[in-house]
Amino acid sequence: MSKTHHKSPAAKLEPHHGTVASYIVGFALSLVFTLIPYYLVVHKSLNAKTLLVTILAFGVLQMIVQVVFFLHLGREKKPHFNLFFLMSTVGIILLVTSGSLWIMSHLYHGMSSMNMTDKIVTDEAIYQVDGKQAGTCSGQTGKNHELMLMDGMATPSHIDAHLCDTLTIMNHDETTRNLVFGAPGQAETYAGQSGPAVHLGHNKVIVLTELGTYKFRDQKLSKMSGDFTVIKQ
Amino acid sequence: METEHALEERHEAASDDRVGFGFWVYLMTDLLMFTVLFATFAVLRNNTFGGPTGRELFSLPAALTETLILLTSSFTAGLGMLAARRGNKNQVLTWFGITFVLGLAFLGLEVKEFAEFIREGHTWRSNASLSSFFTLVGAHGMHITSGLLWMGTTLVFIWKRGLDKHLVRKLTLLSLFWHFLDIVWIFIFTVVYLMAFVI
Repeated sequence: MSKTHHKSPAAKLEPHHGTVASYIVGFALSLVFTLIPYYLVVHKSLNAKTLLVTILAFGVLQMIVQVVFFLHLGREKKPHFNLFFLMSTVGIILLVTSGSLWIMSHLYHGMSSMNMTDKIVTDEAIYQVDGKQAGTCSGQTGKNHELMLMDGMATPSHIDAHLCDTLTIMNHDETTRNLVFGAPGQAETYAGQSGPAVHLGHNKVIVLTELGTYKFRDQKLSKMSGDFTVIKQ
Repeated sequence: METEHALEERHEAASDDRVGFGFWVYLMTDLLMFTVLFATFAVLRNNTFGGPTGRELFSLPAALTETLILLTSSFTAGLGMLAARRGNKNQVLTWFGITFVLGLAFLGLEVKEFAEFIREGHTWRSNASLSSFFTLVGAHGMHITSGLLWMGTTLVFIWKRGLDKHLVRKLTLLSLFWHFLDIVWIFIFTVVYLMAFVI
């Protein structure tokens, strides 16, 4: 704070406060830092990852504006205990949030409920899931068929396979794809699951344990669709 | 006499510093509580158990309105604080009165949003994502509610008794609390609402 404030007794009691000007600047900046990320999200002007980083960065900027212009931190008498305390709290925040996300995403990839059905079915050679034949190919799979999810399309759109072949779904898009089996409005299950979620950059393997022709499509993107036919060997 | 007066003032200042720091410690522990709720939400946000995702539920314009209201209330609280330091009772009552009304409006919008979700059958019992959403946003709403109660009673005291040193100190802590809630809300706006439309 400027020296002049220390002359009045009131200022001596509260050595760290702002002026009308600093509050107006802080307010204006916080409005700008709210409207920019809002605009970016509404108009989807960037791809998902960049947008995510950008809006989080604006959140942090916004916090800094609030801390500097409204809380006037770092302007109090030395030592800056309040500031030190905030910094250590921010450290713990980063540790707890990033740590939780990291651990839980690993756990999710290893043990999500959809994976679990698959895993139990194949590991335990369970004969039926939801009253349907499943898991009869435990350990003995045939040819692998590749299904590529790219640019909002599934290629190839039709796959012919034999029983106990495997289907590897590869996601090359920027987002997680939630595939569902069955035509729109007529959800089906295949091998006991309603449809696999394929995370960006990840693959998903399905053992083709049921005979017949099955349609699949993305939950949100209906043009990402196709079908596969499984016949006896 | 002069020195005794100065001594007393210095003692007051030191005690103010201690109270301020103590309150800051409270705010930081509160922030840690919010951190855990944020981490929980971040982990569970996609676990909708087949129910609608945030993208389908949330209204971005409503969230923006809430944010702008709270930012403005933080600004008027700051102006009220400046008036308090000048010892201008009427300005304090005006600025904090506006802050109070804005806080009430914010709370009203939040309650309205919650009520809509619940009416449509999306409650905290529906899925893990909504449980963590209601806990996080609800915890912030509870803080706003207690902040409003604190502000209301303080304003009544100021109105009846006038601005004394004790009440100015109370207002200082209150405005600290209010700015703090503003910061927490900014992250709710970013992590809960904006992020629902990104990923």
